[in-house]
Amino acid sequence: MKLIKLAAMATVLATGAAQAQDFPSSPVTIIIPYGGGGSTDLIARALANELGQMWDQSVIVENRPGAGSMIGTAFLAQAKPDGYTLLVNTPAHATAPAVQKTLPFDPKADITPIGMVATSPYLAVAGTAVQSTDLAGFVAESKERPMFFATAGVGTSSHFAAELLIQQAGIDGEVVHFAGGGEAQTNLMGGHADVYISNTASVMPYVNNGQVKALTILGASRYDALPDVPASGESGANAIDINSWVGLFAPGKMDPALVEKLNADMHKAVASETFKKVLADNFVLPGSGSAADFKAQVEAEMELWSTLATERNIIAE
Amino acid sequence: MEIASNLLLGLSVALTPENLLYCLFGVFVGTLIGVLPGIGALAAISMLFPLTFHLEPTTALIMLAGIYYGTAYGGSTASILLNIPGTTSSAVTCLDGYPMAQQGRAGVALAMTAFASFFGGVFGILVLSAFTPLVAAWALSFGSAEYFALMVLGLVAASTVSDGSPVKGLAMVVLGMLLATIGMDPQSGVARYTFGSLSLLDGLSISALAMGLFGVAEIITSVRANTGRTIQARDVSLRSLMPTRDDFRRSWMPALRASTIGSLFGALPGTGPTVASFVSYGVEKRIAKDPSRFGKGAVEGVVAPEAANNAADQTAFIPTLSLGVPGSATMALMIGAMMVHGIHPGPNLVTEEPELFWGLVMSFWIGNLMLVILNLPLIGLWVRLLTVPYKILYPAILMLVCIGAYSVHYKAFDVMVVLGFGALGYLMRIFSMPAAPLLLGFVLGPLIEQHFRRAMVLARGDFSAVIERPISGTVLLITLLVLVWSLWSSFRKRRQTLAAATPGSRIEDED
Repeated sequence: MKLIKLAAMATVLATGAAQAQDFPSSPVTIIIPYGGGGSTDLIARALANELGQMWDQSVIVENRPGAGSMIGTAFLAQAKPDGYTLLVNTPAHATAPAVQKTLPFDPKADITPIGMVATSPYLAVAGTAVQSTDLAGFVAESKERPMFFATAGVGTSSHFAAELLIQQAGIDGEVVHFAGGGEAQTNLMGGHADVYISNTASVMPYVNNGQVKALTILGASRYDALPDVPASGESGANAIDINSWVGLFAPGKMDPALVEKLNADMHKAVASETFKKVLADNFVLPGSGSAADFKAQVEAEMELWSTLATERNIIAE
Repeated sequence: MEIASNLLLGLSVALTPENLLYCLFGVFVGTLIGVLPGIGALAAISMLFPLTFHLEPTTALIMLAGIYYGTAYGGSTASILLNIPGTTSSAVTCLDGYPMAQQGRAGVALAMTAFASFFGGVFGILVLSAFTPLVAAWALSFGSAEYFALMVLGLVAASTVSDGSPVKGLAMVVLGMLLATIGMDPQSGVARYTFGSLSLLDGLSISALAMGLFGVAEIITSVRANTGRTIQARDVSLRSLMPTRDDFRRSWMPALRASTIGSLFGALPGTGPTVASFVSYGVEKRIAKDPSRFGKGAVEGVVAPEAANNAADQTAFIPTLSLGVPGSATMALMIGAMMVHGIHPGPNLVTEEPELFWGLVMSFWIGNLMLVILNLPLIGLWVRLLTVPYKILYPAILMLVCIGAYSVHYKAFDVMVVLGFGALGYLMRIFSMPAAPLLLGFVLGPLIEQHFRRAMVLARGDFSAVIERPISGTVLLITLLVLVWSLWSSFRKRRQTLAAATPGSRIEDED
């Protein structure tokens, strides 16, 4: 009995140092805080597949949807920071805490950002009711007929991006919330709402099919796949500097050596040919940067969105 | 001519040995999943989803779709035999299916269900193959105002689902609607009745509610009532399974009407088979010559919801394939299976991927045929399930229900919801409060609320704009007429009963 206890203690002591080198020695779980079938789900599954091959370990994917990704994130926050429980999320990681004030965890302290898997600009698309084809024209049109910005729901990134564009470009408009990006864009096609903003992964299929038209890229520069679509910076909305992303997260208080290893392995997986194809299919670009860069970006976005939430009076108390 | 060549192309895709095999696998798994209470299509498709990475997109879709519409065939089995719905969309089938089983007509009910499911499925596929672009354009013209009007009509049409006291039925509809308000307010983001719980932020899970209210409550009731009752092996010869000519005669028109209703609701993203089953049942009961037969084993009460939910399952592919918009979580997985292979469904899918589109459509025919062939012989087997002692059967079902509730979101909380609603459902039975109206309110309440709120935002707070829109205005007018008509007819009926009845029975009537 004593021997077992000793052995157990020795293992505990040894894991601290050897954790990063030996990782992983058992199956790893990647949580997707969304239901199956969406682009984040597909990218996360492809990443799990690459990491599994690289580590020669099974990497299990678990969909834990709910509360705008916060159910899955809360689950991650409770897991041990040993690298065996990871999570893949989108900017919802920063927008959801801006509207959900009673989270059972601290989004900064209890979560460790590992790195950016993929990135893409935000694209504003317009429906059949909108006449103009660029942002300047759209702003003018909105003065005659106030616009409805469709969102994928309260507190989603499409909601915050819409509030930001309305504020920065001086558009006469208000948001109307739908149950997801699909429903939002259906209502654009039917002419019931006017604009929807989301990452390229969720809007490009509809743009390519001619169901909605690309209005503007949010940010300073244009997007390679749509060279004719002007960026919002060209029309005077200079202060908008946001991008959508898919990121890898781990529980808080993680060993820095392990964080570094996970970041390096993740980038190796992202660089593989098969993964690049998945990214291209979803209209996103490979992510880059260290864990510290990503942490800084995530925290800056948390600040941005929570300030905007107050300024635009987004949360009704 | 073009349609013929398309169908031939589809047939050539669907009939390859591989696709046939995966189709059979899909519908078989679907039937099984449907029969088992608790475990639904979403959980099964999620589990098999990773397989699609290694399959041709068409093959993957054929398999996943097979599971999806297969569950609608199997879903009614447990409703009829045990009064426990296998899927939420089969909950209404309990109302007349279970009484039929109690009258020794379980085999007939199951056979009629299989025929109704096939009828509804085939009807849905016809709509899908002939009118997809048309229906898709029509679905796009539906804004929140139209959805709101349609859901109100649905509520009014289906509000008669329960027997007995209309006041109790209405109270349960309202309770269902109230329960559905739990969670984040979809327009303002305010958390309602969540008490700070993250699990409640998305509201109560509908499958957990249905499983508790119908499944667990039925189990508790049976355990309480079943002291010393012995289960008799019923006569299950093939002859007793055969529906009579009268059953068929009664079922044609309901099946046709229900398939139309189902096709309509299926094609609208966000509504779906459960709403369709409720509405079609309500419609049949309203237009029946003798509505009092319903709830006591009327064959129409089984045929209508089953034809409707199968038709809805098929037409749900219209927005999925032709708009690229998933109407439900299950449909999102279907789109995911295509996106894995870089295919983005939309209006051009039919022209760009004709093999996929027509192959899938033709596989639906084959799958539905397989399901009938599969399900008819299985009826004998399922009916024998009744001979299994309840002390063995019920714990097993309870386990399945809990696993099923957990498997949707991996949340232990949902299991607690099942148990909570099991207790509530039992209490409701003691006070003879019907469960079906509660589920109806729970399904339609949030749709009515969300669409009404959104329609009001889009109309800038002007309700007359909702009435002035041609579709929503017409539908609301129809709703009003139905309301007036049913008030008038119940008033008339009441006068007749009053005239005929003795004072004693009048008091009973008011109960």
